Amino acid sequence: MIALTLLMTFSAVSASAQSKDRRKSFKSWDNYEITTEKVGVDGTKFVKVWGFGKTVDAATMAAKANAVHACIFRGIPGSATAMSTPPICPNPNTLDTHEDYFQSFFAAGGPYLAYVSMTTDGVPSGTDKRKVKGGYKVGIYVQVMYDNLKRKLEADGVARKLSSGF
Amino acid sequence: MFKKLTLLAALLGISGAALSAQEKIKEVVTSDYNRNSISMIALQRGDSYDSQAASAVRNFNLGEKFDINDIRTKTIRIGKTRSESLYQEEVDAAVAKAGLPQEILAFIFKRDSKGMMTDELVRYRGNYDAKDQDVINARASRVGTDALGDLGHGLVSGSYVVLPDFYKIERNTDSKGNVSYSANAQAFAYKIGMDRNGLDNFYEQCWIYEDDDQPTRESKLKAFRDLDIEMVPVATVFTSGSGKSVEAALQSCLSDVIYKLEKRIPAWEVAVTIIGKRPLRAKIGSKEGLKNGARYRAYSYTEDRNGNLKSVPRGFLRATEISSNTGMSIGETEPSKFYQISGLANIDEGWTIKQSNDLGLGVMAGLKVGGTGGTGFGVDIDFLSNTSNVGTMSYVFFSLGMDLAHAEYLPFQAGLGFAYGFHLTRFVELAPYAMIGLEHMGYSSTDKSNDRFTRESALLLEPGVRAAINVAYPLQVVAKAYYDVLALQGSLYRMYNEYVGHKSGLGFQFGVKWTF
Repeated sequence: MIALTLLMTFSAVSASAQSKDRRKSFKSWDNYEITTEKVGVDGTKFVKVWGFGKTVDAATMAAKANAVHACIFRGIPGSATAMSTPPICPNPNTLDTHEDYFQSFFAAGGPYLAYVSMTTDGVPSGTDKRKVKGGYKVGIYVQVMYDNLKRKLEADGVARKLSSGF
Repeated sequence: MFKKLTLLAALLGISGAALSAQEKIKEVVTSDYNRNSISMIALQRGDSYDSQAASAVRNFNLGEKFDINDIRTKTIRIGKTRSESLYQEEVDAAVAKAGLPQEILAFIFKRDSKGMMTDELVRYRGNYDAKDQDVINARASRVGTDALGDLGHGLVSGSYVVLPDFYKIERNTDSKGNVSYSANAQAFAYKIGMDRNGLDNFYEQCWIYEDDDQPTRESKLKAFRDLDIEMVPVATVFTSGSGKSVEAALQSCLSDVIYKLEKRIPAWEVAVTIIGKRPLRAKIGSKEGLKNGARYRAYSYTEDRNGNLKSVPRGFLRATEISSNTGMSIGETEPSKFYQISGLANIDEGWTIKQSNDLGLGVMAGLKVGGTGGTGFGVDIDFLSNTSNVGTMSYVFFSLGMDLAHAEYLPFQAGLGFAYGFHLTRFVELAPYAMIGLEHMGYSSTDKSNDRFTRESALLLEPGVRAAINVAYPLQVVAKAYYDVLALQGSLYRMYNEYVGHKSGLGFQFGVKWTF
């Protein structure tokens, strides 16, 4: 009986830990999927990006932030129809160096929103809207104003201009 | 022995669980739907019905849901008596010999006698199939909306051939000399076995360019002739029909054939997402062959703890207001409207709805108490004729009832009626109705006069109200309250009724209803 109780307790703890890990992985800034949909019109990147949030709206906002985050720090992977795009700030220390800047840049309703537009027809739908433990995971199509974003970060002294190397 | 049995049970359990897991993976319903194209080919048996079969197939209207591949082959002959049905292997063999894949490609790419082709039709179909999201995506990308036509290349793999075969065609004559015909039909559906790679190979090996020299042209012509593409059998359905002429009987079979094939071929079932609520709206319409009352099933999506995607059925809905969307999409397609008829949760924006054909036929069976009198059994068959945005539904119904307490006089009631249902919630429908019919009593007699049936009958008028509650859709519990009015009683009816004692009065019926 004691063994059974121990086993059940262990299973419950293990399941809870797994579940927490999964929730944590959803919330992690680096754990999102992004794919290049097609070559965007001049100065833009056209991507499909996923986000997680307690509500569909929160997940959609997270996806938009993820798209901008990818352009700045991760770069965008290539696809069958488009080349990959390197990050605007390839230096891994940029985020730490300019932590206050990015805190305010990515704040709710922050300046990042000026560089991303959702092009999903209506709300995230079909398999792009998934109920997961703790909220929703949504996939949306977005257009990132990549060139404008790059110019802004260069002007703010966060990203280095290409000409600065010469 | 016990160990062996335990081992066997464990193995069965594991394989059962594995199969169940596989099944669950297969069950993920998505909103990916693209237009399909069909060629209809009549199967012939070499008898006098061949021309009528060919004519029925040629004149059959597939509606707007499918593109038509008007290929050269209209009939395929299989020498077998029409008193027997065909076997799949017999049709497979005939189809394999017919060179249908080449004909389909030749039609789609408008191949001329010199082997020159154009993708004009493919591009047109791609544009026509494009959804609003495709248009928005195209606008956001450098290639622009001109590239929408490229979507048509993906539609080539959705080319089907349907081969109806009619057998056991019979001429029937009733007692008054009226002639009618009945027929059984079997339809074999095949899909072109060509994926994207196959299509790329086809372009590479068979596409002749203006500047190709003669030997290259010859080799490409030969490559087209030698194309090794299969027609893959995807479904076979059976049906029967009748009509006043042979062709009418065959035509009635064909309507049912398409209905049944839609249920058997998942790629033919329209799937789309809900874009708005109050009322529920989705961007499909006449282009997808949507009709008022058409039934769809809603699905939401979840991920399990391993990240596997699951589609969860969430209830049924019916189309109410159909949009005319037969033009090219410009990103602002007018949606059709729907009404939810079942499911605990309210259907939400973003959920997928998928075509789930039904006949719209409800069969109710239950016990009757009161009315013209006695305790009896009643069956109602109703046909859903209209559904509105607010959930009102019109039904035409046929009702049959029997008084079991006076079986020696065989008292039965039959009538036709109209009901108009209001949904108090999606689970509860209240439907006032009116029915006109007759009550008949028969008794063993030597009277063979023509008007005997009339003299044994009385006119029956029945206003009433029907309440139906969803138990587990499509099963409903139904209760009816009505008032039977007997009028214009025939002489024999009056005589029998002195013993039976039926009279105008209030009645109730309780039973269950299943919608097919």
